[in-house]
Amino acid sequence: MIPEITKATVESLYMIFVSGLLSIAIGMPLGILLYTFSISRRLTSIYRVMDVCVNIFRSIPFIILILLLIPVTRRVSGTIIGPNAAIFNLTVAAVPFFGRLTENALNTLPKGVSDSAQAMGVSYRQFVLMVLVPETLPEHILNASVLLINLVTYTAIAGAVGAGGLGQLAINYGYYRFQWDVVLYSVIILVLISQVIQLLGTRVAKILRK
Amino acid sequence: MKLLEVKDLHVSYADKGRIAVVLDNINLSVDHGSIMGIAGVSGAGKTTLLRTLNLLQRPDSGRVVFDGIDITTISSEKLRILRRRVGVIFQSYNLFRSKTVLRNIAFPLLVGGIAKKEALRKAREIAEELELTHRLNAYPSQLSGGEQQRVSIARAIVTNPKMILLDEPTSALDPVLTSRILRLIRRVNSEHGITVIVVTHDMDVVKRVCDEIAYLEKGKMIFCGPTHDYFSEHYLSITRDEHAAEQLSKAKQLLAKRDRSRLVRLVFWGEATVEPILWRCSSGLDVTINIIYGEIEDFKHGPFGTLLIGASGGDTDLFLDHLSENVYKMEVLDL
Repeated sequence: MIPEITKATVESLYMIFVSGLLSIAIGMPLGILLYTFSISRRLTSIYRVMDVCVNIFRSIPFIILILLLIPVTRRVSGTIIGPNAAIFNLTVAAVPFFGRLTENALNTLPKGVSDSAQAMGVSYRQFVLMVLVPETLPEHILNASVLLINLVTYTAIAGAVGAGGLGQLAINYGYYRFQWDVVLYSVIILVLISQVIQLLGTRVAKILRK
Repeated sequence: MKLLEVKDLHVSYADKGRIAVVLDNINLSVDHGSIMGIAGVSGAGKTTLLRTLNLLQRPDSGRVVFDGIDITTISSEKLRILRRRVGVIFQSYNLFRSKTVLRNIAFPLLVGGIAKKEALRKAREIAEELELTHRLNAYPSQLSGGEQQRVSIARAIVTNPKMILLDEPTSALDPVLTSRILRLIRRVNSEHGITVIVVTHDMDVVKRVCDEIAYLEKGKMIFCGPTHDYFSEHYLSITRDEHAAEQLSKAKQLLAKRDRSRLVRLVFWGEATVEPILWRCSSGLDVTINIIYGEIEDFKHGPFGTLLIGASGGDTDLFLDHLSENVYKMEVLDL
């Protein structure tokens, strides 16, 4: 049983971290755009459209989203089962989520700090890279840990429809074959992964928060 | 040419369908190298006016001409470059909490494209001038209020701007720190040749540092001119100054018991303030002078004195004639 559990753990970690990185890479710019449009005087209509889109994506239950995405997943990943197919599904679900988290984090930048940057004549690029993101960095770190922990759960759900990983292991061996010890081990490992991620996130955020 | 000219400025906010006028027809001009105070009670529109001066707040109409350029009409790109020549010191300092003191001070230089090494060197130089050298590697949250303010000033003057804007610089400081910051403002003005505009509700600040004052009341500018003129007018206008009004009514009660007394309010300004004018104007005359209340304050450009006296006797009219020629402003009041 040990080799299966190890393999499933590696698969889970692979899915969590690859989809996590992709979601941050895409969701963070999305969040920055959301923030930019929301504070802009002229582009608030674009913000409203994006806002609604993000809400729609976030309100579709993940399991349904996987089903809806089947044709797209097949085209993008070449298959609809296995970790790589799951990574696509996970990323699609997590990008709007992380975008919203990022937007909220950016909104914690005090108006006065933003004003003082504007008063110094910063360009948009300088504002984003030298003020907006660095000033809210601890929040982004905490968001990343929230995202990864969410992906731990989502990965387990994806396991139900053939993604592989600990979720699938628990369902195949535990639920269908009544090997409850496998379920227990899977759960323990998932809990451990979540704990480590949260602990690291909180630690790093604390160090960064000056 | 003036460094800054504000013409026919109007600012209003739409608030729940109603339009609230914040600034109404403001005209203002500031000379190169001077210190201008924008004063008034809370809610008079002082901070809004300050924010329109570098267009952090866009006016509904009117012009803001800085160094010959009407900044309300230029492109946002040009405005961005122009803003680098105006330093702003906000009331809440607004330092970057993720950056050290040194990085905060160097920030405007880096934004302006100065090489990192040179930027840090200049930042250290300014930090030394403002006595911040021992705090260079601290983060804003580790600084006292006074230190944060000095970092904020260092950050505003490190680019050697033409003008700095200060919003309520003394509102959070004790009297000792207030004196220190006011000395610093005057030094920045005289040694760096930077024009200063300072928003304050504290008239003491105006007296001590400002060459000129713009006084706002409910969004309208009711005075704009030299500081001593403002205070002399202010002193002589009973309606504006409760303190002076109270003084006056008491004096009237006291003097009403004496017959044929005249009540006179005097304003002295500059050299004349410390000269024995009452003695000089009354010598050889049949006049009795009764000093009721007097005060001399140190303004930026010299002493400013106010005096309330009673005068009686045969030659009172002659005495008052002499007096009016020798003081800055005089007002004879009926009892």
